Amino acid sequence: MRAWLLLLAAICLLPFVVRHAIASEIWIFAIFGLGLNLLLGYTGLLSFGQATFFGSAAYVAGYLLKYFGVGIFTALAAGIGIGAVSALLVGYLCVQRSGLYFIMLTFALNQLFYFIAYQWTSVTGGEDGMPGIPRPALFGIDLRDPLRYYILVSALFLVALWLMKRIVESPLGKILQAIRENELRAEAVGYHVPRFKLLAFVIGGAFSGAAGVLYAMLFGIVPLEAIGFVFSGNVVFATLIGGSGSLYGPIIGSFVFIWLSESMSVVWARWPLLLGVAFVIVVLFFRGGVVEAWSRIWRFSKRTT
Amino acid sequence: MLYALMGLGLSLITGVLNIPNFAHGALFAIGAYFLVSVVGILGNFWLGLLVAPIGVALLGLAIEWVGIRRLYSAGHDYQLLFTFGLALILNELIIVIWGPVGISHLPPALLRGGVDLGFTFYPKYRLFVMLMAGLLVVATWLFLEKTRYGAIMRAGIENKEMVSLLGIDIHKLFTVAFALGAYLAGIAGALTAPIRGLSPGMGVDMLGIAFVVVALGGLGNLLGAIAAGLLIGIAQAVVAAYWTEASTAVIFAVMAVVLLVRPQGLFGIR
Repeated sequence: MRAWLLLLAAICLLPFVVRHAIASEIWIFAIFGLGLNLLLGYTGLLSFGQATFFGSAAYVAGYLLKYFGVGIFTALAAGIGIGAVSALLVGYLCVQRSGLYFIMLTFALNQLFYFIAYQWTSVTGGEDGMPGIPRPALFGIDLRDPLRYYILVSALFLVALWLMKRIVESPLGKILQAIRENELRAEAVGYHVPRFKLLAFVIGGAFSGAAGVLYAMLFGIVPLEAIGFVFSGNVVFATLIGGSGSLYGPIIGSFVFIWLSESMSVVWARWPLLLGVAFVIVVLFFRGGVVEAWSRIWRFSKRTT
Repeated sequence: MLYALMGLGLSLITGVLNIPNFAHGALFAIGAYFLVSVVGILGNFWLGLLVAPIGVALLGLAIEWVGIRRLYSAGHDYQLLFTFGLALILNELIIVIWGPVGISHLPPALLRGGVDLGFTFYPKYRLFVMLMAGLLVVATWLFLEKTRYGAIMRAGIENKEMVSLLGIDIHKLFTVAFALGAYLAGIAGALTAPIRGLSPGMGVDMLGIAFVVVALGGLGNLLGAIAAGLLIGIAQAVVAAYWTEASTAVIFAVMAVVLLVRPQGLFGIR
């Protein structure tokens, strides 16, 4: 309960602290992270291809919004569907493998989708991205106003978080955690492990899809990067710094990551360099995420005083 | 053949060290850029071809020493994040040092022009690359099969605990394997430079292909990596002749189809 109150407070305060677009981006990225965390944190599957689902959904929903003028919920439904279906396809190929293979396959299939988007310029716009995506009104409320769109995004984020909480606390969530802890034992108890992994993949893909649609409507464009592997890496990074395996980890991670990248990109055009340095430093010195880093600093400051 | 080189190096690294090396593509790109710089300074292509990959191998050595060494017990997620961060750093450094615009680089005078093969006209330099890459693959193969250290390395892929129990310094083995993999990536990059030119994005493109080669060949299966590299190269060349736009996507499509039929890869046992 306290976590929810904290979140509500954060949602209300955020638009006063940062630009509305960035505030929206944080919650969208958090939805994206929630989807990955079901795989990474709860099932123990390190997927390095989440942008596949994010980007595919963004492109399809963007196309529908742009050329068919569909409403927000139709676009969202289409995006979630596309996210789930593409995750089903990718997952089907990947879940039979484990460890390094699994990571490499998710990445390689991500590249497949990336090159399709890159070459299919008549639909996706290739390197230039797909611009001019409208943000349709909802029940007569004009959402082109950034603050109103922010409210919609954060409401949808709360719905997504509630859903994810229900999922991880359900018997299904427990089975996935059993697979994470000991795959052989889960199999021995009678669960068909690949099928549950695939299910986790599809749910994760649906969340990624929802995030992709909101992202496309937020910026009015689907950039090619949205389906690129760097995006996949970013969400893994965000989830890990927040601390995977906890429901709220990716939310904290999303905060840190978006804030970090936004502030760095203002400073220097070559900010991915700094981002890479941040990755390396986190891995070498702060394994275990923000929570652990905090407790370390705490201990250190206690020792020095 | 170049794909086989990349796949061989990556397969060695993933097989021996058991880490996902997302910096492999960046090492490839660095190899190409090193070549251009060395040729620019020394004015000799052959020296460049000798020096550049060694530079990449040294870089690999440094990377293993400083970072990867500390991560063997850390789990794949952190290893991935580390090599991915490294790839970002190297990629951006390329842009900072050599600029964001692609560079074209001419092959040495000796290898310009083409050869009439009777049925087709083929650029000399491409023939040279095929020859070089073939020689390197064979040399690596001989090293792994016929030398004592090569045997230790193959044993390291099979069973690390056993190798270290036999009194062999496994960490030194890891370092050597990583440097060797980096060397192969570097020389592949150096050889590519006069064919396709250089661009900061070249590493990422190659990374995906290298992963496909390893996935198809079977993890740590070095002969499989060579065969898969050849297969992918041929598939791409054939498709490129008929439908240029799809030539990159087809690599991944081939992989998807193969994995549907044989989930363990073409030559994988596990």
